[in-house]
Amino acid sequence: MATTEDDVVISKRISSGRTQWPIFIALLLVAATIVYPLYFVIITSFRPNSDYLQDPFGLPGVWTFENYLNLANTYGIGQAFLNSLFVGTVSVSVILVLASLAGYALAKLPVPGQKYITATFVSVMLLPGPVLIIPIYLMLARLDLVGTYTGLILVYVATGLPFATFFLTLSFRGIPDEVIEAARIDGAGFFRIMWSIVRPMGSSGLATLAVLQFLGAWNELIFAVILIPEESMRLLTPQLASIGERFLTDQPLVSAGLFITASVPLILLAFASKYIMQGLQVGVSR
Amino acid sequence: MTSAALTSRVGAASAAPTGGAHPPRKPGGIRRRDRIVGLLAVLPAFLVVVGFMAFPVAFALFISFTKTNGLRFEWRWFDNYIALLNDPIVHQVFLNNLKFLISVPLVIFVALIVSVLLFERVRGWKYFRVIFFLPNVLSVAVIGIMFRNAFGYYGGVNQALALFGVEPIQFFTNGTTAIAIIILALVWAGFGYQSLLLLAGLTAINPAVFEAAAIDGAGWWKRLWYITLPNIRRVLGFVFIINVIYTFSSLFGFIYVMTAGGPGFDTTTIDYLVYLRAFSSTNLGSGAALAVILFLFIGILTLVQNRVFKLGEED
Repeated sequence: MATTEDDVVISKRISSGRTQWPIFIALLLVAATIVYPLYFVIITSFRPNSDYLQDPFGLPGVWTFENYLNLANTYGIGQAFLNSLFVGTVSVSVILVLASLAGYALAKLPVPGQKYITATFVSVMLLPGPVLIIPIYLMLARLDLVGTYTGLILVYVATGLPFATFFLTLSFRGIPDEVIEAARIDGAGFFRIMWSIVRPMGSSGLATLAVLQFLGAWNELIFAVILIPEESMRLLTPQLASIGERFLTDQPLVSAGLFITASVPLILLAFASKYIMQGLQVGVSR
Repeated sequence: MTSAALTSRVGAASAAPTGGAHPPRKPGGIRRRDRIVGLLAVLPAFLVVVGFMAFPVAFALFISFTKTNGLRFEWRWFDNYIALLNDPIVHQVFLNNLKFLISVPLVIFVALIVSVLLFERVRGWKYFRVIFFLPNVLSVAVIGIMFRNAFGYYGGVNQALALFGVEPIQFFTNGTTAIAIIILALVWAGFGYQSLLLLAGLTAINPAVFEAAAIDGAGWWKRLWYITLPNIRRVLGFVFIINVIYTFSSLFGFIYVMTAGGPGFDTTTIDYLVYLRAFSSTNLGSGAALAVILFLFIGILTLVQNRVFKLGEED
């Protein structure tokens, strides 16, 4: 097999044109295993249970929003959606502010004890989640924060911060020192520099982080279950889990719950896949 | 956020240089003010992390040495640990975790195939990448319920089997099939992200090596076996370790929505048992001790991981 000019240009390929088709078809098959179940859930969510039971794999004979209305009116899924949105937004905002301050300082300022601070952040990132359940529950109970969003947000902020700080430290290091120096000479103080230089120049990193942390808070289950015992205050993911438990035989209803819970992550992936990929590749692209 | 993702970041964290690029030298006064400003900027984040992550670990250690209902703590030294080591349920649950380890080679195998295929950069590979990544942005609860519904008695899989005249199967009343379904869910949920990790490893290989091999007449399979795989063995090792850690620490969501640990304790994992012990027994100390054991176990795994990487760097 001779290498043509083309092969050198696209150099990363190790296949010849002949093998392209089978590879494309193989990838298409793998993609189908992901797309089909999601398609099935979405289609099922728009049909009555009786219609589903008659022909689960066909197209719905009747299209209806009844499952969604039912979830919203009887099971408070709309409220749970808003609760999740609220907790996610507040958590991410606090994380972005605290991590930007810390990330900028660690990237650009001579912080005393920098080594130990970084080491603390890195080592808590290794913590397996289960270790925290019992002590955090007891601590928040002592502080009267169990059953409040404050307690849950505090936990999301604390568990999100180590990675957030680390990520922004790396990302802010890319801002040239000269720009910051110039601003200082012009008399800009710390907050001025944060707002007028670090925020716009680090916007890509900040957006990446915001998307990742929001997804994390939206999808979190354990702490949302144990810290918000009150049914009426439930977030979306635990509410879905409890609906899923009760309605084994009503697949369309559960499917509607699944689609509502998945909708926000899917929208984020559709519009911000670039940021999500960037963030998750930080782990390997050295 | 999956813990696989979290752990992978840690891998990067330890590789990142710690010293920042400091501004050029300054008269002492300004530099001293910079130090104070820097410290004040780091402080809020640092205090939250110490207060709600570092301190709780120490607190968990304390709780594990006591018998407690959360209000009164009686110091009992190693009683909880000794009770756990002699507890048949704990033995069974640990064995369950070992069964779930079957998912590790499966995920890696699928991820490897997909990454090698993606590496060919066929038409539309970027779209495939996003599709494969899709399960990773979904909640474990969503994925778990999807699989439980699909494999439920009235679920799609049984309905499909019925078309071929097969009697419906009770997948979740039998420990072995229940574990198999959860493993399937793990593979489905995990292979996309991990094929991206492997793809990053593939991309780092010097293309000249492939060209030289191609000129020497090595075919596609030969190049795969003798060049591609040996060159990404470090990434493979890394993916292997994060999967093992994930299996031991992050199956809670799947178990919670798919089987609630049942039938009996047949699908209960260590992290799910910590949750059960924490909120349905009168002794929180036992749950905390189990969490501490899990923590130590994962700590050892991480040390092993570092060893493996060091060895990889030498050659």
